[in-house]
Amino acid sequence: MTNTLHRQGTRESLIRDYVIFLHPARGINRDGSGEKVRRFLEMALEEGPVNVGTAGRNLYTVDDVRQLVQAVDDEATTVAATFSDPEKLRRLVKRLKEADLGISVNISGLADVVDEILRSQGLVRHSIEHSLGILGRTERLPSQQVLELTTMCGHGMISHNHARKMIDWVKLGKLTPARAARYLARPCVCGAFNVDRAEEVLARAKELG
Amino acid sequence: MKIDQNKCVGCGNCVPVCSMGVISVERGRVTVNENECVECNTCYRTLRNERRNPLLVRAIRWGLGHVSLAYDPEPDVCPTGALMPLQLAWPRSLRAVFSDPTIKHPSTGVGGRGTEEIKSNDVTGRLRAGDIGLVVELGRPGLGTRFRDLQSVAQALAEAGVRFEARNPVTHLMSDPATGTLREDVLDEKVMSAIIECRTDLEHLPSVLATLQEAARHIDTVISAGVSARCGSRGEVPYVAAVEGCGFALSLNSKTNLGLGRPLFAETSPVAETPA
Repeated sequence: MTNTLHRQGTRESLIRDYVIFLHPARGINRDGSGEKVRRFLEMALEEGPVNVGTAGRNLYTVDDVRQLVQAVDDEATTVAATFSDPEKLRRLVKRLKEADLGISVNISGLADVVDEILRSQGLVRHSIEHSLGILGRTERLPSQQVLELTTMCGHGMISHNHARKMIDWVKLGKLTPARAARYLARPCVCGAFNVDRAEEVLARAKELG
Repeated sequence: MKIDQNKCVGCGNCVPVCSMGVISVERGRVTVNENECVECNTCYRTLRNERRNPLLVRAIRWGLGHVSLAYDPEPDVCPTGALMPLQLAWPRSLRAVFSDPTIKHPSTGVGGRGTEEIKSNDVTGRLRAGDIGLVVELGRPGLGTRFRDLQSVAQALAEAGVRFEARNPVTHLMSDPATGTLREDVLDEKVMSAIIECRTDLEHLPSVLATLQEAARHIDTVISAGVSARCGSRGEVPYVAAVEGCGFALSLNSKTNLGLGRPLFAETSPVAETPA
């Protein structure tokens, strides 16, 4: 899920944007991991995420969140939960350490905040990955405002045109920022799209006119 | 993706949803530019099928038009279910495999873009102390890439001496991993994005990054690049000075492996081999 690495935005915006995901490793601890993955999802849901993704569905494409947990089978690969409140994330990390599921856990978010959360729970980060930015034909890319929305779905399922349309409709008063953010969340199957943050970006776009 | 022309009512909801911007409305019907479509199935998955009768919808639309009103369905529906994912043959099937995150890559068993990166490094040990991982994702964000562009970057990186990650879907398409050359039959296929994963070390990182910058000048798309490593015993990040010395700014955000996987890979043991 390189996807969660390249989210665009200022520190003030990214400080409310964390994706935590569980990744069973093929040939090592994936076989029979379904129960552990479901346990992770249950704990994540109890902490109040803004999105969750598993088995091609997210919080905004199911009628009942229990469907997300039930959809996990023993072939599950990565499942993710997205938080806008770092304190909720801290509580989940504490619970995951205690639960000792034995499956790799990763967090995407502000590096210093994540490091502080880990240290507060007596953990030291094992491995780390940073974005080096975007190279190549950057002149083909849309505005920063659009990229802040679309890069929250790292698989690229949210198109630049979809983001532009939602920005336009919010500016025209056809949709509230909250409703537009939920429409944008639908294509992001991995659940990494932060609906709270999208709502903030859309509201800011409306203010700027 | 195909559009069932007997069902399509030309509402245009699928046009902005298309990840590649290759759906358009012509003479009241929607068409897909198949050469540019990456078969991500986003339109099919995102738009709810309302299962309305096309004749009825067209009649309503025609009637509304006569009183200067627009037929304006909710933006997340296809009123008549006109979108039709296709059974794809090789090599076009690669488009869906690399673009639709609900499909697991046959070569790695991983969904999304099929890469492990550092996600399970605590148990696989694929990046050890001293290794620097590079994750070079072509086509992202939102432009897509042809494998021909990817090959030119891979070949440049190979000349710079990187080692390509064996358990990576792009490496599986290489006819010659020593030179970064891909199979000829895949070069014109377009995908949402594809990730070259490779390794170097701190000493060679500056020359590899310079090579990457130069290679990026000769492609028709964008690259989202990332760098990764095993942290030090106190959580130190080994590549900060080297990367910043090359003129790159590290992102504020990062992906962090917490080290909670078991059995924890021991640096003294051989690299864990994952069955293909």
